[in-house]
Amino acid sequence: MSQPLKCSLCEEAATVHLSQVVHGKVTKVHLCEACAQKGGAMDPAVFQLADALTTASPAPTLICPQCGFTDIDFRKRGRLGCPSCWETFGDVLGGLLRKVQHEPSHVGRTPAGASPVGRLRRRLDDARREMEKAITGEDYEAAARLRDEIAVIEQQLATS
Amino acid sequence: MSVEDILAAENELTHLLGAQQAVVLSTRIRLARNLEGLPFPGWAKIPQRKEIADQCVGALEALPKFRRAHVVRMSELGDRDRAVLVERHLVSKELAAGKSGAAVISRDQTCSVMVNEEDHLRIQVVKAGWHLRGTWHIAEQLDDALGGSLKLAFSDRLGFLTACPTNVGTGLRASAMVHLPGLCLAGHMDKVSRALNQDGLAVRGWLGEGTEAAGNVFQISNQQTLGLSEEAILKHLGGWIKNVVEQEWNARRKLAQEEGEKFVDRLSRSLGLLRSARLLTSSEAMNMLSHLRLACDMGCLPEERRHLVDRLMIEGQPAHVQARAGQELDSDGRDRRRAAVVREALKDFPDLVPPSA
Repeated sequence: MSQPLKCSLCEEAATVHLSQVVHGKVTKVHLCEACAQKGGAMDPAVFQLADALTTASPAPTLICPQCGFTDIDFRKRGRLGCPSCWETFGDVLGGLLRKVQHEPSHVGRTPAGASPVGRLRRRLDDARREMEKAITGEDYEAAARLRDEIAVIEQQLATS
Repeated sequence: MSVEDILAAENELTHLLGAQQAVVLSTRIRLARNLEGLPFPGWAKIPQRKEIADQCVGALEALPKFRRAHVVRMSELGDRDRAVLVERHLVSKELAAGKSGAAVISRDQTCSVMVNEEDHLRIQVVKAGWHLRGTWHIAEQLDDALGGSLKLAFSDRLGFLTACPTNVGTGLRASAMVHLPGLCLAGHMDKVSRALNQDGLAVRGWLGEGTEAAGNVFQISNQQTLGLSEEAILKHLGGWIKNVVEQEWNARRKLAQEEGEKFVDRLSRSLGLLRSARLLTSSEAMNMLSHLRLACDMGCLPEERRHLVDRLMIEGQPAHVQARAGQELDSDGRDRRRAAVVREALKDFPDLVPPSA
Protein backbone atom coordinates (compact mmCIF):
# COMPACT_ATOMS: atom_id res chain seq x y z
CA MET A 1 0.00 0.00 0.00
CA SER A 2 1.57 3.28 -1.04
CA GLN A 3 -0.22 5.58 1.40
CA PRO A 4 -0.30 4.74 5.11
CA LEU A 5 -3.81 4.65 6.64
CA LYS A 6 -4.79 7.62 8.75
CA CYS A 7 -6.34 7.44 12.22
CA SER A 8 -10.14 7.69 11.97
CA LEU A 9 -10.18 10.16 14.85
CA CYS A 10 -7.18 12.48 14.47
CA GLU A 11 -5.52 12.04 11.05
CA GLU A 12 -2.24 10.72 12.53
CA ALA A 13 -0.80 7.59 10.94
CA ALA A 14 -2.84 4.62 12.10
CA THR A 15 -1.04 1.72 13.71
CA VAL A 16 -4.00 -0.08 15.30
CA HIS A 17 -6.48 -1.70 12.93
CA LEU A 18 -9.75 -3.08 14.22
CA SER A 19 -12.56 -4.95 12.53
CA GLN A 20 -15.93 -5.56 14.07
CA VAL A 21 -18.78 -7.63 12.71
CA VAL A 22 -22.25 -6.51 13.73
CA HIS A 23 -25.29 -8.20 12.17
CA GLY A 24 -23.11 -9.47 9.36
CA LYS A 25 -21.77 -5.99 8.54
CA VAL A 26 -18.03 -5.45 8.87
CA THR A 27 -16.86 -2.14 10.29
CA LYS A 28 -13.16 -1.27 10.14
CA VAL A 29 -11.58 1.33 12.35
CA HIS A 30 -8.02 2.55 12.08
CA LEU A 31 -6.51 4.35 15.04
CA CYS A 32 -3.18 5.88 15.96
CA GLU A 33 -1.42 4.66 19.10
CA ALA A 34 -2.59 7.62 21.21
CA CYS A 35 -6.28 7.47 20.22
CA ALA A 36 -6.35 3.69 20.66
CA GLN A 37 -5.06 4.07 24.23
CA LYS A 38 -7.25 7.05 25.04
CA GLY A 39 -10.51 5.68 23.69
CA GLY A 40 -9.90 2.11 24.74
CA ALA A 41 -9.58 0.22 21.50
CA MET A 42 -12.18 -2.31 22.51
CA ASP A 43 -14.78 0.28 23.45
CA PRO A 44 -17.76 -0.12 21.11
CA ALA A 45 -18.24 3.65 21.34
CA VAL A 46 -15.09 4.09 19.29
CA PHE A 47 -16.74 2.21 16.48
CA GLN A 48 -19.83 4.32 16.73
CA LEU A 49 -17.84 7.53 16.81
CA ALA A 50 -15.74 6.49 13.85
CA ASP A 51 -18.90 5.44 12.06
CA ALA A 52 -20.51 8.80 12.71
CA LEU A 53 -17.40 10.61 11.50
CA THR A 54 -17.11 8.65 8.30
CA THR A 55 -20.80 8.86 7.39
CA ALA A 56 -21.07 12.52 8.33
CA SER A 57 -18.05 13.62 6.29
CA PRO A 58 -19.66 13.96 2.84
CA ALA A 59 -20.81 17.49 2.05
CA PRO A 60 -24.50 18.25 2.48
CA THR A 61 -26.56 17.89 -0.67
CA LEU A 62 -29.56 19.92 0.48
CA ILE A 63 -29.56 23.21 2.37
CA CYS A 64 -32.68 25.05 3.49
CA PRO A 65 -32.49 28.57 1.98
CA GLN A 66 -34.52 29.94 4.89
CA CYS A 67 -32.55 28.67 7.88
CA GLY A 68 -29.37 26.97 6.62
CA PHE A 69 -30.35 23.54 7.92
CA THR A 70 -28.86 20.65 5.91
CA ASP A 71 -29.81 17.05 5.18
CA ILE A 72 -26.86 16.03 7.36
CA ASP A 73 -28.26 18.04 10.29
CA PHE A 74 -31.54 16.19 9.80
CA ARG A 75 -29.84 12.81 9.83
CA LYS A 76 -28.07 13.75 13.07
CA ARG A 77 -31.03 15.27 14.92
CA GLY A 78 -34.14 13.69 13.46
CA ARG A 79 -35.81 17.12 13.67
CA LEU A 80 -36.12 19.88 11.06
CA GLY A 81 -34.78 23.42 11.24
CA CYS A 82 -37.80 25.54 10.29
CA PRO A 83 -41.20 25.24 8.58
CA SER A 84 -39.61 25.89 5.16
CA CYS A 85 -37.41 22.79 5.61
CA TRP A 86 -40.51 20.75 4.82
CA GLU A 87 -40.28 22.00 1.25
CA THR A 88 -36.51 21.74 0.96
CA PHE A 89 -36.39 18.16 2.23
CA GLY A 90 -39.72 17.11 0.72
CA ASP A 91 -38.30 14.14 -1.18
CA VAL A 92 -36.23 12.85 1.74
CA LEU A 93 -39.20 13.22 4.07
CA GLY A 94 -41.73 11.64 1.72
CA GLY A 95 -40.27 8.17 2.22
CA LEU A 96 -40.01 8.65 5.96
CA LEU A 97 -43.60 9.87 6.25
CA ARG A 98 -44.87 6.80 4.43
CA LYS A 99 -43.12 4.72 7.09
CA VAL A 100 -44.16 6.56 10.27
CA GLN A 101 -47.50 8.05 9.25
CA HIS A 102 -50.88 6.79 8.11
CA GLU A 103 -51.03 8.55 4.75
CA PRO A 104 -48.62 11.09 3.29
CA SER A 105 -51.16 13.93 3.09
CA HIS A 106 -53.15 15.98 5.58
CA VAL A 107 -56.90 15.54 5.99
CA GLY A 108 -57.50 17.43 9.25
CA ARG A 109 -58.18 20.97 10.42
CA THR A 110 -56.85 24.18 8.97
CA PRO A 111 -55.69 27.18 11.00
CA ALA A 112 -58.39 29.72 11.85
CA GLY A 113 -56.45 32.37 9.94
CA ALA A 114 -55.87 30.22 6.83
CA SER A 115 -56.66 31.63 3.40
CA PRO A 116 -60.22 31.06 2.15
CA VAL A 117 -58.85 29.46 -1.02
CA GLY A 118 -56.93 26.88 1.04
CA ARG A 119 -60.07 26.08 2.96
CA LEU A 120 -62.11 25.66 -0.22
CA ARG A 121 -59.49 23.35 -1.70
CA ARG A 122 -59.49 21.20 1.38
CA ARG A 123 -63.27 21.07 1.49
CA LEU A 124 -63.22 20.06 -2.18
CA ASP A 125 -60.86 17.15 -1.41
CA ASP A 126 -63.06 16.06 1.47
CA ALA A 127 -66.26 16.34 -0.53
CA ARG A 128 -64.78 14.26 -3.38
CA ARG A 129 -63.71 11.58 -0.93
CA GLU A 130 -67.11 11.59 0.75
CA MET A 131 -68.85 11.33 -2.60
CA GLU A 132 -66.81 8.28 -3.59
CA LYS A 133 -67.69 6.70 -0.28
CA ALA A 134 -71.37 7.52 -0.73
CA ILE A 135 -71.35 5.92 -4.19
CA THR A 136 -69.64 2.77 -2.89
CA GLY A 137 -72.18 2.66 -0.08
CA GLU A 138 -74.98 3.17 -2.64
CA ASP A 139 -76.20 6.29 -0.81
CA TYR A 140 -77.09 8.12 -4.01
CA GLU A 141 -78.99 10.88 -2.26
CA ALA A 142 -75.86 11.91 -0.34
CA ALA A 143 -73.74 11.49 -3.47
CA ALA A 144 -75.98 13.87 -5.41
CA ARG A 145 -75.82 16.44 -2.63
CA LEU A 146 -72.03 16.21 -2.58
CA ARG A 147 -71.84 16.45 -6.38
CA ASP A 148 -73.73 19.76 -6.21
CA GLU A 149 -71.46 21.02 -3.42
CA ILE A 150 -68.38 20.08 -5.47
CA ALA A 151 -69.70 21.99 -8.47
CA VAL A 152 -70.26 25.11 -6.32
CA ILE A 153 -66.77 24.92 -4.79
CA GLU A 154 -65.16 24.40 -8.19
CA GLN A 155 -66.90 27.46 -9.50
CA GLN A 156 -65.85 29.51 -6.45
CA LEU A 157 -62.25 28.40 -6.93
CA ALA A 158 -62.34 29.24 -10.64
CA THR A 159 -63.47 32.79 -9.94
CA SER A 160 -61.24 33.48 -6.92
CA MET B 1 -43.41 33.21 41.35
CA SER B 2 -46.39 31.04 41.03
CA VAL B 3 -45.33 27.40 41.42
CA GLU B 4 -46.36 27.71 45.06
CA ASP B 5 -49.75 29.05 43.95
CA ILE B 6 -50.09 26.17 41.53
CA LEU B 7 -49.40 23.70 44.32
CA ALA B 8 -51.77 25.40 46.73
CA ALA B 9 -54.69 25.77 44.30
CA GLU B 10 -57.37 23.11 44.19
CA ASN B 11 -57.72 21.61 40.75
CA GLU B 12 -59.49 18.76 39.00
CA LEU B 13 -56.74 16.21 39.25
CA THR B 14 -55.88 16.62 42.93
CA HIS B 15 -59.25 17.56 44.39
CA LEU B 16 -62.68 16.15 43.70
CA LEU B 17 -63.83 18.90 41.39
CA GLY B 18 -64.39 17.00 38.16
CA ALA B 19 -65.96 13.63 37.65
CA GLN B 20 -63.50 11.07 38.99
CA GLN B 21 -63.66 7.72 37.36
CA ALA B 22 -62.51 4.18 37.86
CA VAL B 23 -59.82 3.08 35.37
CA VAL B 24 -59.38 6.34 33.39
CA LEU B 25 -57.58 8.92 35.54
CA SER B 26 -57.44 11.67 32.97
CA THR B 27 -57.86 12.59 29.32
CA ARG B 28 -55.31 14.75 27.55
CA ILE B 29 -55.18 16.52 24.19
CA ARG B 30 -51.98 17.98 22.83
CA LEU B 31 -51.62 20.09 19.70
CA ALA B 32 -48.22 20.99 18.21
CA ARG B 33 -48.16 24.36 16.44
CA ASN B 34 -45.46 26.63 15.01
CA LEU B 35 -45.13 30.19 13.81
CA GLU B 36 -44.48 30.83 10.16
CA GLY B 37 -41.05 32.15 9.17
CA LEU B 38 -39.15 31.33 12.35
CA PRO B 39 -36.84 28.37 12.98
CA PHE B 40 -38.02 25.61 15.29
CA PRO B 41 -36.72 26.08 18.88
CA GLY B 42 -34.06 23.36 18.57
CA TRP B 43 -32.44 25.20 15.64
CA ALA B 44 -33.24 28.82 16.59
CA LYS B 45 -30.61 31.21 17.95
CA ILE B 46 -31.14 32.71 21.39
CA PRO B 47 -32.57 36.06 20.13
CA GLN B 48 -34.98 34.15 17.84
CA ARG B 49 -36.12 31.99 20.73
CA LYS B 50 -36.77 35.14 22.70
CA GLU B 51 -38.81 36.54 19.84
CA ILE B 52 -40.81 33.29 19.66
CA ALA B 53 -41.45 33.39 23.42
CA ASP B 54 -42.52 37.05 23.34
CA GLN B 55 -44.93 36.53 20.43
CA CYS B 56 -46.46 33.35 21.79
CA VAL B 57 -46.75 34.37 25.44
CA GLY B 58 -48.21 37.72 24.36
CA ALA B 59 -50.86 36.04 22.19
CA LEU B 60 -51.72 33.55 24.92
CA GLU B 61 -52.07 36.15 27.66
CA ALA B 62 -54.60 38.02 25.53
CA LEU B 63 -56.97 35.02 25.41
CA PRO B 64 -59.91 34.94 27.87
CA LYS B 65 -59.03 31.32 28.75
CA PHE B 66 -55.70 32.55 30.13
CA ARG B 67 -56.99 35.44 32.18
CA ARG B 68 -54.89 35.63 35.35
CA ALA B 69 -52.87 32.68 34.05
CA HIS B 70 -49.58 31.55 35.54
CA VAL B 71 -46.73 32.48 33.22
CA VAL B 72 -43.64 30.52 34.17
CA ARG B 73 -40.27 30.95 32.50
CA MET B 74 -37.89 28.03 32.98
CA SER B 75 -34.89 30.34 33.37
CA GLU B 76 -36.49 31.88 36.45
CA LEU B 77 -37.30 28.61 38.22
CA GLY B 78 -35.15 26.47 40.48
CA ASP B 79 -34.67 22.74 39.88
CA ARG B 80 -37.33 21.74 42.38
CA ASP B 81 -40.05 24.01 40.99
CA ARG B 82 -39.38 22.78 37.48
CA ALA B 83 -39.59 19.18 38.70
CA VAL B 84 -42.94 19.93 40.40
CA LEU B 85 -44.36 21.15 37.08
CA VAL B 86 -43.09 18.01 35.33
CA GLU B 87 -44.61 15.76 38.00
CA ARG B 88 -47.96 17.52 37.48
CA HIS B 89 -47.64 17.02 33.71
CA LEU B 90 -47.95 20.78 33.24
CA VAL B 91 -44.62 20.88 31.39
CA SER B 92 -42.48 18.16 29.80
CA LYS B 93 -39.05 17.04 30.99
CA GLU B 94 -37.60 18.50 27.77
CA LEU B 95 -39.05 21.94 28.43
CA ALA B 96 -37.83 21.86 32.05
CA ALA B 97 -34.32 20.88 30.94
CA GLY B 98 -33.85 23.95 28.70
CA LYS B 99 -33.43 27.59 29.64
CA SER B 100 -35.51 29.32 26.99
CA GLY B 101 -38.80 27.52 27.52
CA ALA B 102 -41.88 29.02 29.10
CA ALA B 103 -45.34 27.78 29.98
CA VAL B 104 -48.64 29.59 30.27
CA ILE B 105 -50.93 27.70 32.61
CA SER B 106 -54.61 28.53 33.02
CA ARG B 107 -55.86 29.38 36.49
CA ASP B 108 -57.73 26.07 36.82
CA GLN B 109 -54.67 24.16 35.49
CA THR B 110 -56.68 22.37 32.79
CA CYS B 111 -54.89 24.20 29.95
CA SER B 112 -51.17 24.68 29.70
CA VAL B 113 -49.27 25.85 26.66
CA MET B 114 -45.56 25.15 26.43
CA VAL B 115 -43.55 27.66 24.44
CA ASN B 116 -40.17 26.80 22.89
CA GLU B 117 -40.33 23.10 23.55
CA GLU B 118 -39.64 20.98 20.45
CA ASP B 119 -42.21 23.14 18.66
CA HIS B 120 -43.00 26.81 19.20
CA LEU B 121 -46.31 25.95 20.81
CA ARG B 122 -47.55 22.83 22.51
CA ILE B 123 -51.17 23.30 23.53
CA GLN B 124 -52.29 20.88 26.23
CA VAL B 125 -55.71 20.36 27.76
CA VAL B 126 -56.27 17.87 30.58
CA LYS B 127 -59.51 16.80 32.22
CA ALA B 128 -59.92 14.37 35.10
CA GLY B 129 -61.67 11.15 34.09
CA TRP B 130 -62.65 10.12 30.56
CA HIS B 131 -63.87 13.14 28.59
CA LEU B 132 -62.44 12.89 25.12
CA ARG B 133 -64.98 15.12 23.38
CA GLY B 134 -65.05 17.82 26.04
CA THR B 135 -61.26 17.95 26.23
CA TRP B 136 -60.97 18.09 22.45
CA HIS B 137 -63.54 20.85 22.27
CA ILE B 138 -61.50 23.10 24.59
CA ALA B 139 -58.30 22.42 22.64
CA GLU B 140 -60.07 23.18 19.36
CA GLN B 141 -61.30 26.53 20.67
CA LEU B 142 -57.83 27.44 21.93
CA ASP B 143 -56.32 26.45 18.59
CA ASP B 144 -58.80 28.62 16.70
CA ALA B 145 -58.21 31.56 19.01
CA LEU B 146 -54.43 31.27 18.58
CA GLY B 147 -54.71 30.75 14.83
CA GLY B 148 -56.67 34.00 14.71
CA SER B 149 -53.91 36.04 16.35
CA LEU B 150 -50.73 34.21 15.21
CA LYS B 151 -49.66 33.20 11.72
CA LEU B 152 -49.24 29.45 12.06
CA ALA B 153 -47.00 27.35 9.80
CA PHE B 154 -49.35 25.28 7.65
CA SER B 155 -49.26 23.59 4.28
CA ASP B 156 -52.30 22.38 2.36
CA ARG B 157 -50.62 19.06 1.66
CA LEU B 158 -48.92 18.40 5.01
CA GLY B 159 -51.12 20.27 7.46
CA PHE B 160 -49.54 21.89 10.51
CA LEU B 161 -45.75 21.86 10.09
CA THR B 162 -43.76 20.59 13.07
CA ALA B 163 -40.11 20.06 13.97
CA CYS B 164 -40.48 16.29 14.03
CA PRO B 165 -42.03 14.24 11.20
CA THR B 166 -43.96 12.19 13.78
CA ASN B 167 -46.16 15.20 14.65
CA VAL B 168 -46.84 16.79 11.27
CA GLY B 169 -50.39 17.05 9.95
CA THR B 170 -52.88 17.45 12.76
CA GLY B 171 -50.12 17.86 15.40
CA LEU B 172 -52.60 16.02 17.60
CA ARG B 173 -51.67 13.63 20.35
CA ALA B 174 -54.77 12.43 22.22
CA SER B 175 -54.21 10.27 25.26
CA ALA B 176 -55.81 8.65 28.25
CA MET B 177 -54.07 7.96 31.54
CA VAL B 178 -55.38 4.58 32.60
CA HIS B 179 -55.02 2.58 35.79
CA LEU B 180 -54.79 -1.12 34.92
CA PRO B 181 -54.03 -3.16 38.06
CA GLY B 182 -56.37 -5.97 36.96
CA LEU B 183 -54.63 -6.55 33.64
CA CYS B 184 -51.20 -6.23 35.33
CA LEU B 185 -52.02 -8.68 38.13
CA ALA B 186 -53.48 -11.14 35.63
CA GLY B 187 -50.28 -10.88 33.53
CA HIS B 188 -52.10 -9.64 30.41
CA MET B 189 -50.47 -6.23 30.09
CA ASP B 190 -47.83 -7.31 27.54
CA LYS B 191 -50.50 -8.75 25.32
CA VAL B 192 -52.64 -5.61 25.57
CA SER B 193 -49.63 -3.36 24.85
CA ARG B 194 -48.76 -5.37 21.77
CA ALA B 195 -52.30 -5.23 20.42
CA LEU B 196 -52.40 -1.45 20.93
CA ASN B 197 -48.98 -0.98 19.29
CA GLN B 198 -50.02 -3.00 16.29
CA ASP B 199 -53.02 -0.78 15.77
CA GLY B 200 -51.07 2.48 15.87
CA LEU B 201 -51.34 3.38 19.56
CA ALA B 202 -48.43 3.96 21.95
CA VAL B 203 -48.38 2.72 25.55
CA ARG B 204 -46.14 4.58 27.96
CA GLY B 205 -45.52 4.89 31.70
CA TRP B 206 -46.86 7.46 34.14
CA LEU B 207 -44.60 10.35 33.12
CA GLY B 208 -44.68 9.72 29.39
CA GLU B 209 -41.93 8.66 27.05
CA GLY B 210 -39.25 6.41 28.52
CA THR B 211 -40.74 6.14 31.99
CA GLU B 212 -41.81 3.06 33.88
CA ALA B 213 -45.40 2.28 34.62
CA ALA B 214 -45.28 2.84 38.38
CA GLY B 215 -48.56 2.11 40.12
CA ASN B 216 -49.98 0.25 37.09
CA VAL B 217 -50.70 3.61 35.45
CA PHE B 218 -50.24 3.82 31.68
CA GLN B 219 -50.62 6.51 29.08
CA ILE B 220 -52.23 5.36 25.83
CA SER B 221 -52.03 7.70 22.84
CA ASN B 222 -52.26 7.85 19.05
CA GLN B 223 -49.00 7.66 17.12
CA GLN B 224 -50.01 8.83 13.67
CA THR B 225 -50.84 12.47 13.05
CA LEU B 226 -50.87 12.68 9.25
CA GLY B 227 -53.43 11.28 6.85
CA LEU B 228 -56.11 10.96 9.52
CA SER B 229 -58.58 13.65 10.52
CA GLU B 230 -58.78 14.72 14.17
CA GLU B 231 -62.19 13.08 14.25
CA ALA B 232 -60.76 9.77 13.03
CA ILE B 233 -57.88 9.92 15.54
CA LEU B 234 -60.24 10.55 18.45
CA LYS B 235 -62.64 7.83 17.34
CA HIS B 236 -59.84 5.31 17.01
CA LEU B 237 -58.42 6.09 20.46
CA GLY B 238 -61.90 6.24 21.99
CA GLY B 239 -62.80 2.81 20.65
CA TRP B 240 -59.66 1.25 22.05
CA ILE B 241 -59.94 2.92 25.46
CA LYS B 242 -63.49 1.62 25.79
CA ASN B 243 -62.18 -1.82 24.91
CA VAL B 244 -59.27 -1.63 27.40
CA VAL B 245 -61.58 -0.41 30.18
CA GLU B 246 -63.89 -3.36 29.54
CA GLN B 247 -60.99 -5.82 29.60
CA GLU B 248 -59.68 -4.25 32.79
CA TRP B 249 -63.05 -4.73 34.48
CA ASN B 250 -63.25 -8.32 33.28
CA ALA B 251 -59.78 -9.00 34.69
CA ARG B 252 -60.69 -7.38 38.02
CA ARG B 253 -63.92 -9.32 38.40
CA LYS B 254 -62.22 -12.57 37.50
CA LEU B 255 -59.43 -11.93 40.02
CA ALA B 256 -61.85 -11.01 42.78
CA GLN B 257 -63.93 -14.10 42.08
CA GLU B 258 -61.07 -16.55 41.75
CA GLU B 259 -58.98 -15.25 44.61
CA GLY B 260 -61.84 -14.57 47.02
CA GLU B 261 -60.45 -13.65 50.42
CA LYS B 262 -56.89 -13.44 49.04
CA PHE B 263 -57.95 -10.55 46.82
CA VAL B 264 -59.15 -8.42 49.73
CA ASP B 265 -56.18 -9.59 51.80
CA ARG B 266 -53.73 -8.28 49.21
CA LEU B 267 -55.39 -4.86 49.10
CA SER B 268 -55.80 -4.73 52.91
CA ARG B 269 -52.10 -5.43 53.39
CA SER B 270 -51.26 -2.44 51.21
CA LEU B 271 -53.48 -0.20 53.33
CA GLY B 272 -51.88 -1.61 56.49
CA LEU B 273 -48.39 -1.04 55.17
CA LEU B 274 -49.12 2.49 53.97
CA ARG B 275 -50.67 3.29 57.36
CA SER B 276 -47.68 2.13 59.35
CA ALA B 277 -44.58 2.55 57.15
CA ARG B 278 -41.96 4.98 58.42
CA LEU B 279 -39.94 5.07 55.20
CA LEU B 280 -41.72 4.87 51.86
CA THR B 281 -40.05 5.06 48.45
CA SER B 282 -41.87 6.69 45.60
CA SER B 283 -42.43 3.51 43.57
CA GLU B 284 -43.45 1.55 46.68
CA ALA B 285 -46.03 4.21 47.49
CA MET B 286 -47.33 4.25 43.90
CA ASN B 287 -47.73 0.50 43.79
CA MET B 288 -49.62 0.33 47.07
CA LEU B 289 -51.75 3.38 46.32
CA SER B 290 -52.67 1.55 43.12
CA HIS B 291 -54.12 -1.21 45.34
CA LEU B 292 -56.14 1.35 47.31
CA ARG B 293 -57.51 2.85 44.11
CA LEU B 294 -58.52 -0.63 43.01
CA ALA B 295 -60.19 -1.16 46.40
CA CYS B 296 -62.22 2.05 45.94
CA ASP B 297 -63.27 1.01 42.41
CA MET B 298 -64.32 -2.45 43.61
CA GLY B 299 -66.39 -1.23 46.55
CA CYS B 300 -63.90 -2.56 49.15
CA LEU B 301 -63.38 1.06 50.26
CA PRO B 302 -65.90 3.92 49.92
CA GLU B 303 -65.73 5.36 46.40
CA GLU B 304 -65.52 8.93 47.65
CA ARG B 305 -62.04 8.15 49.02
CA ARG B 306 -60.65 7.64 45.53
CA HIS B 307 -59.80 11.29 44.91
CA LEU B 308 -57.60 11.29 48.02
CA VAL B 309 -55.69 8.30 46.63
CA ASP B 310 -55.25 10.14 43.32
CA ARG B 311 -53.96 13.18 45.13
CA LEU B 312 -51.43 11.10 47.08
CA MET B 313 -50.20 9.54 43.82
CA ILE B 314 -49.41 13.02 42.50
CA GLU B 315 -48.17 14.55 45.74
CA GLY B 316 -46.08 11.52 46.70
CA GLN B 317 -43.64 12.22 43.86
CA PRO B 318 -40.16 13.40 44.93
CA ALA B 319 -40.33 17.09 43.99
CA HIS B 320 -43.83 17.45 45.45
CA VAL B 321 -42.70 15.94 48.76
CA GLN B 322 -39.84 18.43 48.97
CA ALA B 323 -41.95 21.38 47.91
CA ARG B 324 -44.49 20.53 50.61
CA ALA B 325 -41.71 20.20 53.17
CA GLY B 326 -40.33 23.53 51.98
CA GLN B 327 -36.79 22.20 51.84
CA GLU B 328 -34.39 20.01 49.91
CA LEU B 329 -34.40 16.49 51.30
CA ASP B 330 -32.08 13.56 50.60
CA SER B 331 -33.58 10.27 49.53
CA ASP B 332 -34.09 9.00 53.11
CA GLY B 333 -35.55 12.32 54.12
CA ARG B 334 -38.03 12.17 51.25
CA ASP B 335 -39.02 8.60 52.09
CA ARG B 336 -39.56 9.58 55.73
CA ARG B 337 -41.58 12.64 54.80
CA ARG B 338 -43.64 10.76 52.19
CA ALA B 339 -44.47 8.07 54.75
CA ALA B 340 -45.60 10.74 57.23
CA VAL B 341 -47.87 12.46 54.69
CA VAL B 342 -49.43 9.16 53.60
CA ARG B 343 -49.90 7.97 57.20
CA GLU B 344 -51.66 11.20 58.11
CA ALA B 345 -53.90 11.10 55.03
CA LEU B 346 -54.96 7.49 55.57
CA LYS B 347 -55.37 7.51 59.31
CA ASP B 348 -59.16 7.56 59.24
CA PHE B 349 -59.57 5.23 56.26
CA PRO B 350 -62.04 2.46 57.12
CA ASP B 351 -61.09 -1.22 56.92
CA LEU B 352 -61.71 -3.01 53.64
CA VAL B 353 -64.87 -5.00 53.02
CA PRO B 354 -65.40 -7.72 50.34
CA PRO B 355 -65.84 -6.37 46.79
CA SER B 356 -69.26 -5.34 45.58
CA ALA B 357 -68.40 -4.52 41.96
